[in-house]
Amino acid sequence: MKQLSRGAFALPGTSLDFKTGTWRNEMPVHNHFGAPCHVACPAGEDAQAYIAKLMEGHEKEAWEILVSANPLPATTARVCPHFCEQACNRKHMDQPIAIHLIERYLGDEAIKHNWAYPLDAKRMEGEPVCVVGAGPAGLSAAYHLRRLGHPVTLIDALPEPGGLLRTAIPVTRLPRDVLDAEIGRLLKLGITFKPRTALGRDVRLEDLLAQHAYVFLAPGAAKSRHWSVDGAVPSDLREGLGLLKEWLIVGDIPKPKSVAIHGGGNTAVDLARVMKRAGVAEVHVITASGLPGPDADPKDVLNVVPREFDQAVEEGIVFHAHRTIQRLLMRGSKLVGLEMVHLKKLPGAGGRSSRVAFEGTETVLHVEMVVPAIGEVVDAQGFESLLGQADYFKADPLGQITTSDRVLVGGDARGDRGTVTAAIGDGRLAAAAIHAKLTGEALPDPKRRPFIDYDKLNVNYFEPSPRAEETMLPVGKRTDIDEIEGGLTRAQVTHEIGRCFSCGNCLACDNCWTLCPDNAVIKTQERAKDGSHYVFDYEYCKGCGLCAHECPSGYIVMTPD
Amino acid sequence: MDSTQLKKEIQERRRQAQSAPSEESRPAEHNMAELRKLQPRYRGLEAGHRACQGCGEALAARLVTEAAGPDVILTNATGCLEVFTTPWPQSAWRLPWIHSLFENSAAVASGVEAALKAQGRKTKVIAQGGDGGTFDIGFQALSGMLERQHNILYVCYDNEAYMNTGIQRSGSTPHAAMTTTSPPGKERMGKRHLKKDLLSIIAAHHIPYAASASVAYPADIRRKVRRAVSIEGPTFLLIHSPCPLGWGIESDISIEVARLAVQTGLFPVVELERGELTGVMPIRHPKPVADYLKLQNRFKHLFTEDPRAREEREHLQALADHNIEIYQLKGDGMDALDTDGADTVRRGGMVD
Ligand SMILES: Cc1cc2nc3c(=O)[nH]c(=O)nc-3n(C[C@H](O)[C@H](O)[C@H](O)COP(=O)(O)OP(=O)(O)OC[C@H]3O[C@@H](n4cnc5c(N)ncnc54)[C@H](O)[C@@H]3O)c2cc1C
Ligand SMILES: Cc1ncc(C[n+]2csc(CCOP(=O)(O)OP(=O)(O)O)c2C)c(N)n1
Ligand code: SF4
Ligand code: SF4
Ligand SMILES: [Mg+2]
Repeated sequence: MKQLSRGAFALPGTSLDFKTGTWRNEMPVHNHFGAPCHVACPAGEDAQAYIAKLMEGHEKEAWEILVSANPLPATTARVCPHFCEQACNRKHMDQPIAIHLIERYLGDEAIKHNWAYPLDAKRMEGEPVCVVGAGPAGLSAAYHLRRLGHPVTLIDALPEPGGLLRTAIPVTRLPRDVLDAEIGRLLKLGITFKPRTALGRDVRLEDLLAQHAYVFLAPGAAKSRHWSVDGAVPSDLREGLGLLKEWLIVGDIPKPKSVAIHGGGNTAVDLARVMKRAGVAEVHVITASGLPGPDADPKDVLNVVPREFDQAVEEGIVFHAHRTIQRLLMRGSKLVGLEMVHLKKLPGAGGRSSRVAFEGTETVLHVEMVVPAIGEVVDAQGFESLLGQADYFKADPLGQITTSDRVLVGGDARGDRGTVTAAIGDGRLAAAAIHAKLTGEALPDPKRRPFIDYDKLNVNYFEPSPRAEETMLPVGKRTDIDEIEGGLTRAQVTHEIGRCFSCGNCLACDNCWTLCPDNAVIKTQERAKDGSHYVFDYEYCKGCGLCAHECPSGYIVMTPD
Repeated sequence: MDSTQLKKEIQERRRQAQSAPSEESRPAEHNMAELRKLQPRYRGLEAGHRACQGCGEALAARLVTEAAGPDVILTNATGCLEVFTTPWPQSAWRLPWIHSLFENSAAVASGVEAALKAQGRKTKVIAQGGDGGTFDIGFQALSGMLERQHNILYVCYDNEAYMNTGIQRSGSTPHAAMTTTSPPGKERMGKRHLKKDLLSIIAAHHIPYAASASVAYPADIRRKVRRAVSIEGPTFLLIHSPCPLGWGIESDISIEVARLAVQTGLFPVVELERGELTGVMPIRHPKPVADYLKLQNRFKHLFTEDPRAREEREHLQALADHNIEIYQLKGDGMDALDTDGADTVRRGGMVD
């Protein structure tokens, strides 16, 4: 071979012999941060995870992820205030992901196709646990205890399970076939359900404790608070929750020409809408709270699902915010009106806030009826020894109380809850705690993980995209039975899941793989051990930080090497 | 010395050259060497090259060779790319690659192409050079290559200065930028002259296809490379490639800075066929040039109290506005291929 006088050659790709990884000061690592949607959900649903699964086209597996936290997704999709959406990072770009509509789609598909929970209903190796109350908290506890293999007896005072889901929430918001399908599926998991069995009336706490290793108490709050205006009470007074329950069972509701409902929660607003639809011309809601709105202080607003408030306004309910009733105007024993006054919750001496009424702001409202809906407290019949004189239970985040080490409490019976989703989350945590106590494992950590902020994402890689809109019955077409809100089509769901930023978790977008100047990001064939789709080749990674900076989801962080 | 002996010797030297102490072994979760071979993309430029951290040029060359595929012969002008990819006795290239001089990448490529033609082979020749090797010293070779209609794609990696020899100004250095040979001071605020409008000169050669692109938009690069190599005849691609060292930026923001160059209008991303403008990447929301300039030390003097600083900033803004005007870069609503849409990611990877 003829020799060249100058020049050299090298074999292809031989630079691999030189490990540029030694240049590095910082190394990129995958870090799965909490997603706002996940962290915000009181039931512990990981929206991002099921969205990702759905994106892969696996609907049933997506639903299985969903029900690993919440056994009643078709229900919560309809009634939850959707804390996930309120937290969703996408709101900073355009609108939050319509997570509840994706949840609803999966929940409804499961009902349609009769999907079974991914668990073995015959497994019974654990210890017997009794759950008192078949509302969302009790149902969730029973379900999660079954997932962990414990035999469960579930008792409820009423003939049918569901708690307020069945007895109070209007069917226009939660069709009963949906509720029945989800609860029916749940009770088939080998749960011994005893209806018409009230603790205190039919069974004693001692007996339950003698027969079971643990008791989970989820009786809700059913006893109406005492209501009067300066000692005066109309002789024919009916309280709100009672009226609503009666309407649901009997289908009958009083129809005065005008009514004032006193209260700022779900009962007040649901009752107002029911009465309006029943033909009551003037329906007023008088509440000490403020109204939801962009500038409203979240601690001061009406305690209802925001879109229920919007729909109520649409339907013509008149809200009197930051007001209370100061005097009832009576003609003999008959109510003819009431006097309202402005008031506000203000910090008082000693740090405790109190409600202050402002003199000179009195107005008169002419109404034929007034209905208090100011909330309920626990009816302690049967477990007076545990509750003492308090209105509600005070429990730690796992539901543990100081008055018994074999009774845990969750749901509305704790004073600090108030939503279906929170009740479901309580049931899950209490089940995990009971399981831990029975097995000697460490108690679950209820602390919420920190989540990743919008500014940690690289949103250059995302496009604005409008949120999918569900169908909605127009006001004129709303009845007492038809569901008002509709769901999404599969095509809309596909659009919607495509909007997810995958905050703090791998999106499998290939960005790091595409942009590493050093070919140090390697795509895996299946999934990498950390659940992502890429691994760093630290032999060559120089630690430039490009991949971390350009990761759309904030999943890559640089750490000192 | 015969070639087997030479190979042996090289291997021996390579063993010695592994001066870098091998890393303390981490628990191997994956067989990296195997996985590397299984990557679902063509690896024209391998790891182990000596580019600086965050080098835009290394990334651009990786993307170009990835898109062009294995049936390619590369030539390279002297410059960073040549130096960092081929520290003898190693090469980061997995393609036939030849380097001769600073000024003659296009001329060498012309010879290679003529030889291939004589042999009746269809292998594509890609000539590469930095901006110094293209705008300046290699320019006549490039012009000749285009004029003689060689079947070659010429790729210029534009990092806007002579980086390999220590950041001297080139014909491509933007107006007012600081380099070691255009320092800001009493007389001037950085480079006095303007960035040479190379694309217009290329256009005057009436070649079938010429385009500009940016490392911030990899899918656009891949598309343009595929387009260019599929054309029989001379084609030209100018790729804006940040240099963290020369521009005075942290290594992690090269892409961010490259994206801003496009989004401000300072670096227009366009396509020309037979010298006529046939496509641009529209700018959805033009950003102020200050957003781009303030990230870089080479423009640091433009953010001082000196009254000339303000004037030069305005000058650069006017140049960007001028680009937007003459290339009609301002987008009209949302476009999947505009400056916001062209880099959109989706779950499961980019499709292009
Ligand atoms: C009108 C109305 C509308 C609402 N709307 C919404 C909404 O849109 N979204 C939302 O998130 N939340 C809403 N809520 C609140 C939500 O319904 C409750 O937070 C939730 O149901 C609490 O669940 P729980 O399991 O703790 O109690 P409950 O649902 O009250 O269930 C308690 C169960 O325990 C049983 N029980 C009680 N005492 C005993 C006993 N001694 N022995 C045996 N069984 C007993 C009861 O019969 C009942 O079935 C609404 C509430 C009302 C009243
Ligand atoms: C004829 C000649 N003059 C000068 C040099 C020294 N030299 C080597 S690389 C280089 C600059 C390269 O600049 P550019 O082409 O922009 O490539 P970069 O290194 O910036 O990628 C110079 C001046 C040379 N090799 N040959
Ligand atoms: S964008 Fe996706 S991951 Fe992020 S909060 Fe919203 S739903 Fe969750
Ligand atoms: S882009 Fe590549 S070299 Fe830079 S930190 Fe990431 S893996 Fe390492
Ligand atoms: Mg250069």
